[in-house]
Amino acid sequence: MVRLFAALLLPAAVPAILTALIWALPGDPAEIICPRASCEATDALAARWHLDEGPWGFYTHWGRAALAGDFGMSWRVLQGVPVSEMLAGAVPMTLVLLAAALLPVLAGAVGAGSGFLPRRADGSLHVAGLVPAVIFSLFFAAVIALRFGGNSFGEEATLWRLVFGAIVLSVADGALAGAVGGVRALFRTERKQRYVQIAALRGEGMLENVLPNVAAALAGQLRARVLHLVSGLVVVEVVLKIDGLGDLLWSGTLKQDFGVVLAAATGFAAVSAALLLAQAMLEIAVALHIRRAPRVAAAVSA
Amino acid sequence: MNRRTPAMLAAACVLALAALAAFAPERLPETLPDRANLGPLGSFPFGTDDRGRPLLAYAQQGARVVLFPAAASAVLVGVLAVCGGLLRCVGDERVDGVVQAFGEVLGALPRMVVILVAALLMGSGGGLLPLGLLWALLSAPGAMDEAASVAERLGGARFVEALRAHGFSWSRIFLYHIVALNLRPVVVRQAAETAMQVTFLELSLSYLALASEQPSFTHPDSMRSWADILQLGYLSLALGKPTGHALVLGLVLVALVTASAMLLTRAARAR
Amino acid sequence: MSRFPGFRGAKHLLVAIGLGSTALGTGAMLTFYEESLPGSLNPLYASSMVDYRAQELIFDRLYFHHPIDNRLTSKLVEKGEVAEMGKGWKVTLKPNLKWHDGKPVTGEDICFTVKAMLDPATPSPIAQGYRTILAGCSAEGSNVAIIKFTKVVHNPMERLGFAVLPKSQFQGTAIQPDDVFSQKPIGSGAYKGLRNKRMATYDAFPNGHHNPGVAKLQLQEGGDPAVQVSTLKNNGMQGMIAVPPPFRPEVSATDDLALKSYDLRSWWFVAVNTKKGPLSDRKVRQALNLLLDRMDLREKSIGVKAGEQNSPCEFISGPFVQSSPFYNRKVLVSERADRAKAAQLLKEAGLEQVGGRWSYGGQPVTFKIGMLSPLNNEAPDLLQQISNQLGAGGFDRHEEKVSADDWQRKVVSGAAMDFDLLVGKWSFGVVDEVNEIFETRGANKKGALNIFNYSNPTVDQQIVEYNQARTDTAANDAYHKLHATLADDLPYLFLWKLDTKSAWRSEVKGNTIAPYYYWTEVDAWKYLN
Repeated sequence: MVRLFAALLLPAAVPAILTALIWALPGDPAEIICPRASCEATDALAARWHLDEGPWGFYTHWGRAALAGDFGMSWRVLQGVPVSEMLAGAVPMTLVLLAAALLPVLAGAVGAGSGFLPRRADGSLHVAGLVPAVIFSLFFAAVIALRFGGNSFGEEATLWRLVFGAIVLSVADGALAGAVGGVRALFRTERKQRYVQIAALRGEGMLENVLPNVAAALAGQLRARVLHLVSGLVVVEVVLKIDGLGDLLWSGTLKQDFGVVLAAATGFAAVSAALLLAQAMLEIAVALHIRRAPRVAAAVSA
Repeated sequence: MNRRTPAMLAAACVLALAALAAFAPERLPETLPDRANLGPLGSFPFGTDDRGRPLLAYAQQGARVVLFPAAASAVLVGVLAVCGGLLRCVGDERVDGVVQAFGEVLGALPRMVVILVAALLMGSGGGLLPLGLLWALLSAPGAMDEAASVAERLGGARFVEALRAHGFSWSRIFLYHIVALNLRPVVVRQAAETAMQVTFLELSLSYLALASEQPSFTHPDSMRSWADILQLGYLSLALGKPTGHALVLGLVLVALVTASAMLLTRAARAR
Repeated sequence: MSRFPGFRGAKHLLVAIGLGSTALGTGAMLTFYEESLPGSLNPLYASSMVDYRAQELIFDRLYFHHPIDNRLTSKLVEKGEVAEMGKGWKVTLKPNLKWHDGKPVTGEDICFTVKAMLDPATPSPIAQGYRTILAGCSAEGSNVAIIKFTKVVHNPMERLGFAVLPKSQFQGTAIQPDDVFSQKPIGSGAYKGLRNKRMATYDAFPNGHHNPGVAKLQLQEGGDPAVQVSTLKNNGMQGMIAVPPPFRPEVSATDDLALKSYDLRSWWFVAVNTKKGPLSDRKVRQALNLLLDRMDLREKSIGVKAGEQNSPCEFISGPFVQSSPFYNRKVLVSERADRAKAAQLLKEAGLEQVGGRWSYGGQPVTFKIGMLSPLNNEAPDLLQQISNQLGAGGFDRHEEKVSADDWQRKVVSGAAMDFDLLVGKWSFGVVDEVNEIFETRGANKKGALNIFNYSNPTVDQQIVEYNQARTDTAANDAYHKLHATLADDLPYLFLWKLDTKSAWRSEVKGNTIAPYYYWTEVDAWKYLN
């Protein structure tokens, strides 16, 4: 219930919090484009962008328009381009990057849970995870610039950026190592439980007994891993110049393009909310499954 | 391995970092173009940068930039994790529900997004400490949740009642039996990971500031971060510039932080 | 070469992972690195040199200085003549001029541009600049426009250097920065341009007055200069607009690359807050000027050794580059520090030296020194070096870089009074007027670029003399006096003019680089791929 509430709250709360934060930034974009000392229409520009209505007025105006699908025009990141158009390009890019980065993380988690991935691999993963994402990204960014030159933003180069981005996201900053270590520890602890040992003595499969009991914790871990990847997205996208939500958010914040910032942050919040929802749903499903657990024969006969 | 060895190794790593930070010069030494890009043998102990300044000064300044904020963030997460565990043991469902709801919302916020906006908001004057503490605050729900799970496995309020029945005092139950004996592994691991993450955060923010020609978000512009060392070093990998020693140094420093975190976790593990 | 043998082969790692081979060719398209992406392609919202250059490819300015002989000329105007008793200028357009959407360029478009700039609802500092001199415009027929001035001007063409906008692309004369025109402009220049998140692309648009020799241009953001130079050497890109001084030797040593001079007429300075503490005393400012060892700064930051031939960095003693007719050669440059004389001046100003540090009114003096952050690419560590020299002179200091946005919003508008010293650079076109930088702030954009709100009646008077000059000699005389006054009063510590150099591959021919706007003669460029 709490998770459901949080999931519904996030997409509205995140832009509200950000509006409050960016309002505290010194100056506003109207003053950057039309500085008062050398331009007399600063207030008119501020009024055009609803910057004269205070944070609440701005937020409510933005929220109403956003609900109708109108995110306005970019003020500074890409002047004159509808933010919705920028989002339409950025969201798929980020989702593809996230999915691609999640694949090795999931594979590692499954391998660790099932015991397919040997424990001796953990050390190597930890070592690879030591390298900060920035360094991996810088290296790959240089590789692409050198290899593709003028075609650095062509289709092939973009594909390589995504591949490299996914590798960096999943390996650097301990994402993969954390997933493998976390799942392995969870299963190791659970396997030590008495019910699992009894089940083993009865000749039942280990996984079918353990999985329903660790499913909720696994879902929690998975959500944490995805959030870890989402958090790393910004750095990877900025350095590797991937046109995703993270890059949009960074450039929007840097240039005080409030519409772009709020739209991108809402995108992130939506991802986070979807994860919360998914976790909540999974927990409900597990609870139902356990409630509908098969009756034990001995208990029935008694 | 017993717990003493990792504890001693962790202490050695932390002391090494503290020693670097303690002797950090306020400003980089003068440039000496004739001594540019010397390796560790040419300029002991870490070599020089592309302007002939010793990388030792970079390492020291970088350590000073991260050490205290990382430690403070670790303490904050540790304290909040302990609170999470103890609250579960108190057994007040209403308080527990409120804390869980708050944690769900806070934990679901995209951390880096909030940090970036905060970094720009504070500008260069803020330094790493407030950003580190913010990061810790955003990380806290996970740590509190995990500590609460441990407390729940322990039996929660029933565990406290049982110990009270044995005549133990409240302070002994909470501080010794719950925190020191049972929550310790989780709390130390979460705190150590937070310290490591704050160090990585500093690297990322410093690089982003460099790349976007912004003043530094995490330290005064008279100081250098480890990100400067790594940025210098990556050119050896990408373009074959003679700065490989900087890359090695940068990675060793990062490894030192990570090793500290891992060793601390290992040292604090349950018997 | 690294002392670590294992890293000697690291550069081959790229090859090992299959991506390090020679860069792909880029067809007939000429690709180049800019310092950043343009912020806007709308000429009314240009705010950086990158914007001016990017827009020069797309638009025609009504009048411009020819890059070879400096005469005022136009690609649009067939005939220009005085009108309205000297308070107007009548232009007759050349025939067969077309916008990029195929519509003809008319006198209505000229007048629309003037009216858009005069419309107070157009929030453009560039338009604001024209509001003091332009009064209106009326079109006669399809190809004639009469532009009216607020007063009689002796050099009307000089005042008409604005880019002409197409009336058909706008609903009214209030032009907004977030109009789609900023991204997909329609101009009448040599290229039709489009900007996206990662690049700006330009397609040649042969016109009655343009016949571009390169079919396509592509502008990309530069990033790490080391990577830019390597990509250029690989022929991955063909040009780089600004090569930082530390990379010039590498470019010069490469047969396939040529360094080309780009005359930006830019000079570097340390602005001094004359309203703050001891800095309000001229003697303290003069002492600071003597504490700066410019030779040492130049060597440590830019890498120019003392006595080096063909130095890209030329010291200045006032607010003009040495090649400017306004430069007063009687005012000598201070190249080396003179700490003894500086100490004497500081003592005369009432400062005391306690434990090697200077105090004022019993308090140790600490300077907050800022620098425009992007300048660090051209002169790495300059901020630190200046700080070190002042530190060696006995002052405590605190350094802080200033982002380009903050520079625009706070510094230029005179709102960064918390700083004591600010390191920056001004760039000029052919006419290097400095009035807005030094005159007292007031109405009509007076002192609009006066960083620390400096005010000196003598300076103001000399600027009035310059404005009232009716001959070049009179204008030069007025600015010579201004130069001497400023070199004595020192609201700025003048540093140097630093050459800007571009790098282009040898396959690019006929690449004349125009001062300031760069691409004015782009029609003659050829790319022999």
